[in-house]
Amino acid sequence: MVDTESRAEPQARHPATGRKRPEPAKPAGGITLRHRLRRDRTLILMTLPAIVLLLVFAYVPLAGNVVAFQEYDPYIADNAFQAILQSPWVGLDQFRQMMDDRLFWAALRNTLAIFLIQLTLFFPVPVLLALFINSFVRPRVRAVAQAILYLPHFFSWVLVVTVFQQMFGGAGLISQTLRDHGHDGIDLMTDPGLFKFLITFEMIWKDAGWGVIVFLAALASVSPDLYEASAMDGANRWRRIWHITLPALRPVVALLLVLQVGNALTVGFEQILLQRTAVGPGASEVLDTYVWNVGITNGGFSYAAAVGIVKGIVGLLLVLAANKVAHLMGEQGVYRK
Amino acid sequence: MTPNSSSSPSRRSFLASTAVVVAAVGGGVPLLTACGGSGDEKNEGTTTGRKLKGLLPAYVPSEAVTPDIPARNGSAIGFTTARPAGQLAVSVPEKLGKGGEVSIMAPLWGTSPGTGNAYWTAMDEAAGVKVKWQNQDGNVYGQKLGAVLASSNVPDAVVVPSWELNGKIPSAITNKFADLGPYLAGDKVKAYPNLAAIPTGAWQRAVFGGKLRGLPFPAESTPNIAPFYRPDVFEERGYQVPATTQEFYDLCKEMNAPRSKVWACGDMTWSAFAFFGVLAEKPHYWKLVDGKLVNRYETDEYLEALEWSRSLYSAGFVHPDVKAERGDQKNLFSSGRLMMYNADISDWYGATAVQRLADPKFTMAAMDIFAHDGGEPTLYAAPPSNIWCFVSEKADKRKIEEILALANFTAAPYGSREQRLKAYGVEGVHHTVKDGVIAKTEDGNNQVFATYEYIAGPAAFRAFPDHPDVAKGMVEWQQRQGAHTRKPLFYGMQVQEPARYAELNAQFEDLEKDIVRGRKKVSDMQQNVSDWRTRGGDKLRDWYKKLLDETGDSAS
Repeated sequence: MVDTESRAEPQARHPATGRKRPEPAKPAGGITLRHRLRRDRTLILMTLPAIVLLLVFAYVPLAGNVVAFQEYDPYIADNAFQAILQSPWVGLDQFRQMMDDRLFWAALRNTLAIFLIQLTLFFPVPVLLALFINSFVRPRVRAVAQAILYLPHFFSWVLVVTVFQQMFGGAGLISQTLRDHGHDGIDLMTDPGLFKFLITFEMIWKDAGWGVIVFLAALASVSPDLYEASAMDGANRWRRIWHITLPALRPVVALLLVLQVGNALTVGFEQILLQRTAVGPGASEVLDTYVWNVGITNGGFSYAAAVGIVKGIVGLLLVLAANKVAHLMGEQGVYRK
Repeated sequence: MTPNSSSSPSRRSFLASTAVVVAAVGGGVPLLTACGGSGDEKNEGTTTGRKLKGLLPAYVPSEAVTPDIPARNGSAIGFTTARPAGQLAVSVPEKLGKGGEVSIMAPLWGTSPGTGNAYWTAMDEAAGVKVKWQNQDGNVYGQKLGAVLASSNVPDAVVVPSWELNGKIPSAITNKFADLGPYLAGDKVKAYPNLAAIPTGAWQRAVFGGKLRGLPFPAESTPNIAPFYRPDVFEERGYQVPATTQEFYDLCKEMNAPRSKVWACGDMTWSAFAFFGVLAEKPHYWKLVDGKLVNRYETDEYLEALEWSRSLYSAGFVHPDVKAERGDQKNLFSSGRLMMYNADISDWYGATAVQRLADPKFTMAAMDIFAHDGGEPTLYAAPPSNIWCFVSEKADKRKIEEILALANFTAAPYGSREQRLKAYGVEGVHHTVKDGVIAKTEDGNNQVFATYEYIAGPAAFRAFPDHPDVAKGMVEWQQRQGAHTRKPLFYGMQVQEPARYAELNAQFEDLEKDIVRGRKKVSDMQQNVSDWRTRGGDKLRDWYKKLLDETGDSAS
């Protein structure tokens, strides 16, 4: 009763199928949904809580986006649902207003600039760190290095920004040391021109170590035999990295790049909001903080929703495009073709 | 975390430490000049004249206690001593509460003591009302408020400070909160003697959308922002208190010593507004010039004040942590790293009380506000109430009466048994009284915060028996500044601007910060003002002009 008829079906040749899997004769169209449900019921049950969370907190609220086409006033009725029913429809007015909104375009420009800076400066750092950690042979040294690198990830942004202020602010350690030696102090924390690099630097300090985990896992899966064999063939350290380590990391790098591009318009909210006054909205306003200020602070829910929708659509297009590029490069991307 | 979470200055927190702020604008009965309201009454406009009078509670001043320093020029009354428990007046002889339960949402500047603590239990017991607190961080209160009011779960009572009346919040107030008129208007208020002792001006500002909806927390009409300095340090080093903006600048130059980690000042923008005689904030931001309304943003003094504040930044007098909004000005000042700063006047007590634990000789004081050129300053009277407690329109009669009973308890005057409990907790548990000085215990410091404070308060008073010099200094400062205050247009009115202008002024606060910090030029503000005019400012001007023609220039 095993795989004879359905040899052409890749699913049926699953290594776990060895015995007793009910596999009735059927046309080449594949096994029926009912059977797949039955076969995968354990897995489905395991993902159920996540699916419910996703539905309740991501998909159902999506329906609230209709307020982008209204002049929504949450206070005219007893609850949000009735308020939506009673608020006047305004068609695409909010979107038209957005097109003419200088501040929206400024926020979009800042967002993209920060994304590009982060992509070039932040993204390679975890890869390099992973290679660095991987080069430690002694497990103890390696564990200590990892712990030190992970630690800042667990600091809150408030703390990180404060630490940076204490170091690089106008009354910070560096300024004070300079003054003690007869120079002028420097204030890196309130310079709008440096801001985009400053937050990237903060992000590297806080999160680069954490980003290493995925790459380390990928590196762990590389068989030591490959290194040994190439060493026997006379490959030096750099050759081994170039021909073995980096190709092993390639699929992971591609996947993370695609995900990163999908998040291009989400460049950090709390971190930026905390430093808004220090450098001013001109340098720091990004789409997320703009939505927050317009929607939550000033009560312009409809307009904020419209900006949110545009952000979502642009993000989706970016991820599709990046995935396409990944496919063209022969990688899997976030999903298979 | 959000932008205002640091304790640096922000409009949302500048009234924050008003643990015992209250207000006394000499509250007489309003004279009737104009009649009726204006505009779509529920959602915009104001209420004045005969119509307003019909909504207001009667005024029966409290005679329970005589202040050590009487009110003058719109100042608070002052108290420099504390009576022993046995001699306290009794303002609520019988419990008015019937033991019902009410939920209240209120801002809290501090850490919630948690349900079941001894302070809340004692208050509930004494007032006869069980409160389920929904406290929210005062610094980000506005953001929570918007969400809660938009939900179908509005608590029985909600505290709303005036600085959160942005965007659509005013519309929420008229739509979601009950009319208290049937319980309080005219003589009905006499059932609640402490509420009857609240000055009329404070009640006027609690009229929203043509109905009396709020329970007021009265405030002084004198300026609330004070420029602070250290008299002890000034004396030691021979500095003179400045009397013009140039002298202030020169003094900063003398004091500024970054190499010794000492900077001359914090952000002085609010003081600059006072030095240059800039108009107050919405809705009191208009003045009549040749029969035409001119907005504060359009005045020369507004630009001059920004320019001057900017000069302090560009000269490097402002502490870098303040510039980055990452430092607490009060702490920087008390620790001597900042020589002058401005804040709500209540910082005077807050900083002194903390610093004197370590340094009994610590003194700070507010300098008198001067005109930038040394003449007499132009100051505008502050509104008679700025924080109100509203009752959900879904609350039934029983519930409303419970909340009023509680408000009558919290509005008890200083020197009464009720106020002692509210402000200091239970004697022996939360505080001790010795030789006329009240000292909070550790439990007192951890549990007795201003939670009940904003449900309703008595006429403004300042009572610091532990530091009588502070009470005296503070009230006398108010009296001196009060001599220079004048009433702005629309004084005492609760004006609701039409919803279409809700976001009109949103850019100004950011731009002010950009300009003083040197990131934008003063001319950018002129550009912004001209944009503001075309985006709706001119129409808003017409709207206010019509209001002015219909209602007259003040509420009473």
